[in-house]
Amino acid sequence: MSLFPGGGVALGKLGLTEEDIMDEIESGKRDLVKELVAMSSREQIQAIRVLPMCLEDKKHIRSQVHDSKLSKHGLQLTCFTDCSEQVSRSFRRCGANVVSARQAMKLWQGTMKEVGGKFGTSVLSYFIFLKWLLMFNVFSFLINFGFVTVPQLIQPPNKTAAVGFRGLELLTGAGYFNQTVLYYGGYSNGTIGNEPVYDMQLAYFFTIAAYLVLCAVSLIYSVARSFQKNFVLSTTGSAWRLLCSWDFSITSEKAIRQRKNNLRVQLKESLSERSQRAHISTSAKLKQFGIHLGTWLISTALALASCAAIYYLGLYNLEVIKDSQDSISLLTEASTLLLPFVVSLINLIIPLLYSLINKTEKYSNPRTQIYVIILRNVFLKMGILGILCYYWMYNVPTTISCWESFIGQDLYRLVIIDFIFSMLESFFGEFLHNVIGTRCLPSLGVPEFDIARNVLDLIYAQTLAWIGIYFSPLLPLIQMIKLFLMFYLKKVSLNQNCQPPRRSGRAAQMQTIFIALLFFPSFVGALSMVAYTVWSLKPSEHCGPFQGLNITFEAVALWMDRQGSVSESMWPVWIYNNVIKSELFFYLISLIILVLIFFFWQITQGRKLLITLLREQIVNEGKDKAFLLDKLQKLQKEKQTTASSQRPYRQIPQSFDRRQEIEPDYDQDFEDLPGRPLPEEDTGPVGPPFTSALIQAMMARRQAEEEEEEGY
Amino acid sequence: MGTTASQLSKDLLSEYQELTFLTKQEILLAHTRFTELVAKEERSSLSLRIPMEKILTMPELKSNPFRKRICYVFSTSERKDGSLTFEDFLDLLSAFSDSATLEIKSHYAFRIFDFDDDGTLDCGDLENLVNCLTGETDDTRLTPDEMRQLINNILEESDIDKDGTVNLSEFQHVISRSPDFVSSFKIVL
Repeated sequence: MSLFPGGGVALGKLGLTEEDIMDEIESGKRDLVKELVAMSSREQIQAIRVLPMCLEDKKHIRSQVHDSKLSKHGLQLTCFTDCSEQVSRSFRRCGANVVSARQAMKLWQGTMKEVGGKFGTSVLSYFIFLKWLLMFNVFSFLINFGFVTVPQLIQPPNKTAAVGFRGLELLTGAGYFNQTVLYYGGYSNGTIGNEPVYDMQLAYFFTIAAYLVLCAVSLIYSVARSFQKNFVLSTTGSAWRLLCSWDFSITSEKAIRQRKNNLRVQLKESLSERSQRAHISTSAKLKQFGIHLGTWLISTALALASCAAIYYLGLYNLEVIKDSQDSISLLTEASTLLLPFVVSLINLIIPLLYSLINKTEKYSNPRTQIYVIILRNVFLKMGILGILCYYWMYNVPTTISCWESFIGQDLYRLVIIDFIFSMLESFFGEFLHNVIGTRCLPSLGVPEFDIARNVLDLIYAQTLAWIGIYFSPLLPLIQMIKLFLMFYLKKVSLNQNCQPPRRSGRAAQMQTIFIALLFFPSFVGALSMVAYTVWSLKPSEHCGPFQGLNITFEAVALWMDRQGSVSESMWPVWIYNNVIKSELFFYLISLIILVLIFFFWQITQGRKLLITLLREQIVNEGKDKAFLLDKLQKLQKEKQTTASSQRPYRQIPQSFDRRQEIEPDYDQDFEDLPGRPLPEEDTGPVGPPFTSALIQAMMARRQAEEEEEEGY
Repeated sequence: MGTTASQLSKDLLSEYQELTFLTKQEILLAHTRFTELVAKEERSSLSLRIPMEKILTMPELKSNPFRKRICYVFSTSERKDGSLTFEDFLDLLSAFSDSATLEIKSHYAFRIFDFDDDGTLDCGDLENLVNCLTGETDDTRLTPDEMRQLINNILEESDIDKDGTVNLSEFQHVISRSPDFVSSFKIVL
């Protein structure tokens, strides 16, 4: 008996029926081997790997499978099987090597482990998110640089930089940078090379379109995966959630002590929450409702006021620029920094006010509190970005001649100033808080790492980068550098200043929410802004790749016309005419999607019904089990009394009481066998299709028979 | 690395790769860390058992509240002393690795939480589990009343067949619905 080391002891106590159990186990093992033999070698490895056994047993099973495979195939095919075996083994090794190489290349592996060990999975999720965004930007930079910037650099236009490099450009992004490939204006509308020509207009359009489409696909995929894994499935109550949230990766002694404390507090809270849930009077409810209404009004008013302030500041700024468009002095250049400075300041201060407001309202559920504060911050940030977009779309193009570059510069400034502010915030916010908390005001305490606020900042910065992709193709480079530095900055600040967050758990769900927020409103907003620019706004007349066109998309239309006049039957033209330009196609597509959604919805409804039915079945089986056990025990007792009255000297065999405590182990052994994810209703080929109650009944009958034999 | 790589033959290494969720680097690293615990002259044999006390000096396990249970569960020793061979150690790391499946992880979590090794989580096991998580000393423990209430809640949430204990399938059902478990049931060397 080596399938389950734990089970061995328990079964060992069972003197009488040990052989039977051994037989059962052996036959289970034989079935397992038989099933494994039938699989392909790839599946076999997977299946053996997921067996919950120790290595030695796995080796044993594997060699058995091997032997029976050999004997089955006989000798005539040995050469062929040998060959195929060899090939598949080398393939597997190759695959394993790829996996390990990928792991070796993983960025920041050591740092991640350190952070996880000290602060737990929830803080680690911030860094994983940051890394994920970094990958997006690296990819975006590579394709933009490769397909748009490099061709442009090969054939530079005959413009010379209007002003020399003065240093302030690093902050403002204007002046010297204005004519470079950093911005839309630095690209020409010509073609490069002769036969085949490289059309800059098309390259610019399709590179950005392709990047945005790829982003959309990967975001939708991640959101869907994350939702499926973390939201749809998680309906467990609070007690198990807390018990299962223990972080095995934490290694620091102090962090573990803290975690234990936090967990105890949370357990106690969850207990008191349960008992207090019903005792809230109507007046208290009304009062609470009033407070919530008030705080919501205040926070919305704050957000609206800041949006208005930003809009009018933008208009004022535009006037200043317009007046001095010909001779750009250092002062006017510096004055452009005012808008991003105010935006970043608002982004810093209003969330602080929000968390102050949040402290006055008392939510019964701490999770609601977190969601409320996230929601308000998202409103604020998206409001700011929305008003900026409005300003860029309606006010800037009518006043500035090369307005795309101007928007690019604005975005550059926003990104840079935002970075500076987050640096300052780490140092002054967290560092000063730490110093004050440890030296002067111990009641203030050491700051916690606020995951929600930090992630929202990242989402905001990424939205800026996405909007900027059309106006400043190399903005991802800036964003890349920024994220790279942020990683180290946050790591240092975390290690020096912060303590692990007091509330653990739900890290996975929070991560889902953040990814969802990154998709909507962040990505969708940026996408619609870029799409609106491309489809509805007239590009500036004297600069950039699309100069002279009515709208940007006309570049594609003209290209299609040219292609169509050359040869009628080309497939891109056909696709363009029949798919992109036809309403019928989109109508059909939406119809099909709607029908599919309806089908899937029906399927989920059906599954929900099935789940409730299965649950009832389990409960019934549990009752059956209890009933049978009861009956058996009664029978056994009767037998014992008659047996002992007949032969008082005979030793009483193992009682059923004892077996009852041993039984579940046996039960477990069978349910553990692979391929049986739902043991309660499954009759998989691996384990014998007995329910535990049946096995028990069988064991009991056998014992009773043996007793009888002995008795007579 | 060089010396340890020569100790694990290529065949053995690929066998370990096939049977566990670990990559080559992880296995080699595990071997290095494992042999560090042994005196130099004993390093040659792979079937060597390292007593639990020595295993628990590793920083990854040292302060884990379940450290002893982990050793007992993964030990194949006949004497039930929690001592580990290198293969047992690999089993441990494999179950706690990133790529291990939810089934494997929840199976071993169940065995770790099953303090009396009887195959179900009964009230005693749950009490032990909660005490392990909140700290063993008297001032950190929950009061008996709270404990009773908590265990009631736990059973209410997970004991589907109402037999007063949580068996493996019920446990796995609960675990499959708490998404944080997979990411937190992890030990990386």
